[in-house]
Amino acid sequence: MIEARGLVKRYGSTAAVNDLSFTIRPGLVTGFLGPNGAGKTTTMRLILGLDYPSAGTVTVNGKPYAQLPDPMHEVGALLDAGAVHGGRTARNHLLGLAQTNGIGPRRVDEVLGLVGLTDVAGKRSRGFSLGMRQRLGIAAALLGDPQILMFDEPVNGLDPEGILWIRNLMRSLAAEGRTVLVSSHLMAEMEYTADHLLVIGRGRLLADCGMAEFIARGSGQAVQVRTPQPDALARAVAAAGGTLASVGDDGQFEVCGLTEDQVSDLAFAQGIRLYHLAQTRASLEHAFMELTADSVEYHAELPAGK
Amino acid sequence: MTSLTIATRPAAAPAPTRRTALLRTLHSEFTKLRSVRSTYWIMFALVLASAAWCVAYCLGTVHQWPHMSAQDRSGFDATQNSILGLALLGQLVIVVFGALMITSEYSTGMVRTSLTVMPRRGTLYAAKAAVFAAVSLVVAFVASFGTFFLGRVLLSSTHVPMSLSQPGVLRSLIITALFVEACGLVAFGIGALVRNTAAALTLAFGFLVLLPQLIRTLPVFLHNDLTRWVPGGDAINSMTATIGGQIPHTFSAWGELAVFAGYAALLLLLGAVQFARRDA
Repeated sequence: MIEARGLVKRYGSTAAVNDLSFTIRPGLVTGFLGPNGAGKTTTMRLILGLDYPSAGTVTVNGKPYAQLPDPMHEVGALLDAGAVHGGRTARNHLLGLAQTNGIGPRRVDEVLGLVGLTDVAGKRSRGFSLGMRQRLGIAAALLGDPQILMFDEPVNGLDPEGILWIRNLMRSLAAEGRTVLVSSHLMAEMEYTADHLLVIGRGRLLADCGMAEFIARGSGQAVQVRTPQPDALARAVAAAGGTLASVGDDGQFEVCGLTEDQVSDLAFAQGIRLYHLAQTRASLEHAFMELTADSVEYHAELPAGK
Repeated sequence: MTSLTIATRPAAAPAPTRRTALLRTLHSEFTKLRSVRSTYWIMFALVLASAAWCVAYCLGTVHQWPHMSAQDRSGFDATQNSILGLALLGQLVIVVFGALMITSEYSTGMVRTSLTVMPRRGTLYAAKAAVFAAVSLVVAFVASFGTFFLGRVLLSSTHVPMSLSQPGVLRSLIITALFVEACGLVAFGIGALVRNTAAALTLAFGFLVLLPQLIRTLPVFLHNDLTRWVPGGDAINSMTATIGGQIPHTFSAWGELAVFAGYAALLLLLGAVQFARRDA
C-alpha cells in the first residue's frame, strides 16, 4: 500500500507534482498514466525517497520509504535500467545490492535465472542491450521478493519480444497477489496490463479509477473502421464533429463522437472506401486523449508560449 | 517463465538494527569496490607512482654519491627521499580514487539504485567512506613501507643506515601514509559536494597543487604565515623529514597531519550533509 497526501514537488517556480493524493491498493496492477513530463517519474522518485517533497507526505506500508527496515523485502523498483555501473558484472551488481538487505548470493543466482540472465551473469553490464538491462533492473527489483513493485516506463525502447515478456511478468506478479505500479505513456500497453488507473497531467491528478470506469467516463462508444483513405476520412469526420484516432497498423482507426450509421453515411457521401466498420468500446487511448488534451506539456503544433 | 516466488522466503526476519544495517552496507560497498576494474588500476598506479619516484631518486643519489661532500652525505635523508614520491605523486592518484568512489555513482546513475536499496543516506555515506578509507589506507601503508624498503635496497651501496628503529623513521612512514589518506578523504568529500568527476578532480587538484603555488607568490610574511596550512612543499617536508629538526614556518609532523586531517573531516562532513539533504 502506497499513500500520498498532498504531495508537491517544485523545481524553482514550476511544480512537477502538484497536490497529489492517492492510494495504491494491494493486489492490483495500477497503471500510472500521463503525457511526457506529467510528473510520473518525479512521483515515483518521491515515493522512493530519492527526492524530497516540497510539501505533503508519501508512505509505503504506513512508513516513509527511508524508514523501512529492509526496503528490498517490501518494495522492488525499476526506475532507470541504465542506472548501473557498466564495469560491474550482472552478478556482482546484484550481489552488491542484495547485501545491503542481508540477501545472500543464492537468491542472486535465483533471480538471474528468473529473468533469463544466467548465461551472462559473469559479463559486464556495459555490453548489455537495453532489453538485457531492463531484465537486470527487474532482477534487482525481485531480489527481496517484495509485495510491491514499481516500474517506470518498463517497455520503453524494447522490442516486441521484450514487451511481451514484461507484460507477462507484470500479469504473473499481479496474479501472485502483488501490488504493481507501472507508469507509461503508452495507452495500448496499459490496456493490456492495468486493472486500475492513476492519470496525471501537469503534476495534477486527473483520474483515479478502474480501467473500465475510466474508459466509460470518456465518450464511451466508438466506431472502428479500416480504410485506405485515412486523410479523407479524418477530414470528413472532423467536419461532422467527431475525432479520428489511429489504432494499430494497417489502416485501423477509431472514430469517436459519431455513430456507426453516421460514419457509414459520411463515407458513402464522400466516396471513401471502408473495408471494416464496427461499433466498439472506446479505447483507453481515446479516453486518455480527451482527458489530457488540456494538460499536455509540449504540444507539437503550437508555438511556444501559446 | 517459472514462478517468481521463492520457496525459502525468510519468515518475517527481525528488523535489522542500525548496526546490522551498517555492517551489511559495508559488505555491499566492499563488493561494489572490488568488482570494478578501475579500483585495481588506481591502486596499482598509486604504488607504481610512489615506487617510480623512489627508484629515480635513489638511483640518482647513488650516482651522485661519490661526488657528494661529507656534509651533504650526513644531511642526506634517505627515508624522506624514498617515500617522497608517495607524498607528492601518490596524493594525486589517491585523489582520483577518492573522488571516483562517489562521483562514479552519480555519473552512472547507480546512486539512485543504491539509495533505493539502502535509503538511510547517513548509513550509505558512512559505509562508502569507511570502505574507501580502509582500502586506500592499506594501499597507502603498503606504498610507504614498500618504498622505504625499496629505497634501502637501492641505496645499500651508499652504506647510509636505514632502519625502522632510527628516530623519526617510523613516524615519517606512518604520517606520510596518513597524509595521503587524508588527501583521498578530502577528494571523497569534494566528490559528495559537487557530484561530478571532472569538477571534483579540478577542485581537489586545485587544493593540492594550485593553492600551494599561489601561496608561494604572496609577500614573504604572508607566505610564512600561510604555508603551514596548505599541502605544499613546506608542510610535506615537515611530515616526511627524519633528520634536520623542525622545518621553519611549519607545525611539527603530527601537527601538519592534524591540519590535513581537519580538512578531510570538514569536507567529509560537508559532503555528508549534501548527500543527506539534496535530492539524489
